Amino acid sequence: MTALASPPEQQPAGSLQLLRRRYRSRPHRNRPGGEAIGKAERAALVFAAVLVILLVAVPPFLPYSPADMIDVPLTPPSWAHPFGTDDLGRDLLSRVVYGMRTSLASSILVVASGIVVGGLIGLVAGMAGGWVDAVLMRLTDLFLALPGPLLVLAIVAALGASLTHTLIGVAVVWWPWYARVVRGQVRATVGMAYVETARLVGLGRVRVALHHVLPSAFGPLIVTASLDLGNVILLLASLSFLGLGTPDPAAELGEMTARGLTYLLTNWWVAVMPAAAVLLLTFIANFAGDGVRDLMERR
Amino acid sequence: MARFLAGRLVALIFILLALTLAVFVIDAAVPTDPVAANLGAGASQTLIRAARHALGYDQPIYIQYYRFLGRILHGDLGTSLRTHNSVAADLAQFAPATVELALASMILISGLALLLGLWSASGATGATAIRFVLVSLASAPTFFFAIVLVLVFYSWLGLLPASGRTTAGTATGFVMTHDLWRGDLVGWLDGLRHILLPAVVVALGPAVAIGRVLRGSLVDAMAQDHIKTARSKGISDSAVLLRHALRNALTPVLAMVGLQLGLVLTGVIVVETVFAWPGLGLYTSEALVNSDFPAVIGVTLVLGAVYVVINAAVDVLQVVADPRLRDRP
Repeated sequence: MTALASPPEQQPAGSLQLLRRRYRSRPHRNRPGGEAIGKAERAALVFAAVLVILLVAVPPFLPYSPADMIDVPLTPPSWAHPFGTDDLGRDLLSRVVYGMRTSLASSILVVASGIVVGGLIGLVAGMAGGWVDAVLMRLTDLFLALPGPLLVLAIVAALGASLTHTLIGVAVVWWPWYARVVRGQVRATVGMAYVETARLVGLGRVRVALHHVLPSAFGPLIVTASLDLGNVILLLASLSFLGLGTPDPAAELGEMTARGLTYLLTNWWVAVMPAAAVLLLTFIANFAGDGVRDLMERR
Repeated sequence: MARFLAGRLVALIFILLALTLAVFVIDAAVPTDPVAANLGAGASQTLIRAARHALGYDQPIYIQYYRFLGRILHGDLGTSLRTHNSVAADLAQFAPATVELALASMILISGLALLLGLWSASGATGATAIRFVLVSLASAPTFFFAIVLVLVFYSWLGLLPASGRTTAGTATGFVMTHDLWRGDLVGWLDGLRHILLPAVVVALGPAVAIGRVLRGSLVDAMAQDHIKTARSKGISDSAVLLRHALRNALTPVLAMVGLQLGLVLTGVIVVETVFAWPGLGLYTSEALVNSDFPAVIGVTLVLGAVYVVINAAVDVLQVVADPRLRDRP
């Protein structure tokens, strides 16, 4: 996806289905000692928070700009350049930090677009019921049956390589699971007495939908989104690796890795550092996603 | 069962139509005018209009889609801008390398997933530590595995080659299958050495994903009453696990296999690029870099159709494994 990848956390659309199933089938996992979440998950949540703060706050204070050629090309890691320099003599640490920032921000953007588009479709389908529901959900199923990552490749190839186009491409195929999650919750909530009461009191359809029904879907939405983030980071990195992101000199982890391949056997750090940064991001996202799920289930 | 199969078949045809429609829409979204681009900058308006008419670009959009569909069904996927061959011929040339890589990966995936699942479900020592390793592996981007394995096994240990399919040079066609057929063991072993690293990289992610699902469904299956009965009859632990639990645990695993497929397809593109494996993935990534749009469209259609058909087959297999699913909404 992705191009890309693999297990539930690692994989795009497909794995989500499975995760949802797991989420539903074991809503109350009992942990010894009654802890809300495991140590690894708690550590990952803290680490994720620290990382986000660092990525937002630190870049302006880095000694080198990610685009400036400041030293001899292909300098090995040292105190002056902890990650070394790339083939143009740019500081790799600066580039990797900026790349991680771009990677995380664009992944959050994609997930957010999935929540908004999918949420809207799911809400309309769930509230309307009948043929509207049937048509919208068949459409959702159809999108789920198509190979999303492949279509993204074609969409970006058609529009031209850039991060913006990649984000548009991924957003186009990334909403169906969110539509399902929201629709399921909405259908379960819509028949409840308090929703019925809200209607009888004379509240408008939109108000009932937004204020009384939609909030019930927030929990599952947050869980789905946090488990999904690692997939999106991987997919975007792979697309950038294949040359579909913003071209150099923009600092993107996938593109930096692909560029470093040329020097892999002589100057390993050029490719390994950005690739390891992607690994770090998805690793934390996956563990933190598990943590968020456990926390929500606990409530 | 016949009714179920017929229903699945109709659904499959609809999904394939949706795939062609999606690709058609993407094709139409290309900002450059294919006619003007083909004729060059000096073409007169009259010439462009004549060419548009000859190629059918002035027809209503549904007629254009109908023609697009007709061309695909006749195996005409257009001409590659990079190789100047017909895309269909290019795909036929590069497909065998990918098929061999996919087969090797599938063998590895089945073995690894079974091993991981059985081991972590058996509650043997170290089973909890495995979870940490699994999540780490699950988090790694394909290209990270690829470069680390190249550095370790090629650059550092010097054990395995880092690119291509044979020592003799780039080769298309069913190299290993052919060697095996002729009984050329030396050639086959050479092919095996070349295919090992890329196949492992493609297989690791899906193997971990499937192994984790297998573990979950095995644990559920082991809690069932008939397992207790089997145990109380005195059947050994391993026999209970393999003969009674594993069979019932397979349905969710099959679902995961279908889900993993799309990722394997895209993973193959990255892996073939890193290992200079002359298959569809390398063809695609070169098409992407060179803005060879007809080639990208052709690959999307063919790999997309493969994905859809295999997923449909997995769906049917699930019902074969567990007939209760037939009545699922």
